Amino acid sequence: MKDELARRLVQSLKAAGINFVTYLPETRLSQIVPLIRDDPDMELIPVANESEAITIAAGATLGGKQAAVYMENTGIYTSCYSLLTVGKQLGVPLLLVIAYLGGVPDLRNSFLYATIGKHSIPVLNGLGVDHTLLEDGDKLEVKIKDAVRAANSLRAPYALLFAGEFSE
Amino acid sequence: MIRYECLQLLASKMSNQLVVTSQSGQRIEWSHLSRHEGNLLVGMMGCAIGVATGLALALPHRKVIALDSDGSVLLSLFNLATLGNLQPKNLVVYVFDNGVYSGSRISYPTATAGNTDLAAMARGAGIKNAQTIRDFEEFKKAGVDALIRNELGFFVCKVEESLMHREIPRPNTDLAENKYTFVRYLERTEEKAIAFVGRG
Repeated sequence: MKDELARRLVQSLKAAGINFVTYLPETRLSQIVPLIRDDPDMELIPVANESEAITIAAGATLGGKQAAVYMENTGIYTSCYSLLTVGKQLGVPLLLVIAYLGGVPDLRNSFLYATIGKHSIPVLNGLGVDHTLLEDGDKLEVKIKDAVRAANSLRAPYALLFAGEFSE
Repeated sequence: MIRYECLQLLASKMSNQLVVTSQSGQRIEWSHLSRHEGNLLVGMMGCAIGVATGLALALPHRKVIALDSDGSVLLSLFNLATLGNLQPKNLVVYVFDNGVYSGSRISYPTATAGNTDLAAMARGAGIKNAQTIRDFEEFKKAGVDALIRNELGFFVCKVEESLMHREIPRPNTDLAENKYTFVRYLERTEEKAIAFVGRG
């Protein structure tokens, strides 16, 4: 991802009110991590597993933060249980910022990621987690604001899957 | 040591603390002992410490308490490493360790009935005040003292297996109802609006 796109992504998260981010880094979107870390209005929380990225962000949401979880799409699989029990069953809004590796629009796709990518959207659908695929920076700020509004309105996680230009 | 007695003592010390329970016997017992609006009765195992950590980070001036079980902590051991590094000073975790999967009704042993020492694991993960409490007198001291200390506490409370939670009434609140009571309580006591709560 180009540095300018990373800056726009973080600015868009901030403009949508995101002020608390749990994360496990990966390769496609990782430039956002130092930008979030250096932003005094955003709290960045490193975790050991995406499952707790969900539960910690959910606790922060209940405590009044507007929380996002940044993860690779492999994290969808490891966090299914938390997404279902805390995200869906308890009904806690979260923005999921997901690097969509291995999908058709992943510009760095290979045999290493293709199976992971193939099942990501079906698993999100199975969990009932609504999602939008972003392949370029067009109307990025609007799309992120829409996603946060949708999460808050649904009282549920909402996923943004980043590929295309975001995976360069 | 009896879990209900420990919870009874903790309940008598509650004022404006926030309490998160996982799904196991202590969730039922705690809901019976405390009707406080700051109780969040999370409905599944393995999630309470994470949710409590998020609350503690979001509200660093409030004391947050997680009531958990050995089976539940074993489901989410990654929490230990994360807590060991984040060190939220306003969080106290009580793990009521009866050494069995009591809710399964066959009471088969958990790993803590064998060789696993959760307090040692927590210390190894970086949680300095992590200790095993084996009797009620010790709980009255170290367990209760943690409520006023400004330090992350992790207490593995070795308790007998108890079936009391099957004899007392289960909480009569829905998960969503409990969540909204909890966040409305926070809105009131923190004097700030929480974004996702409906208003009209």
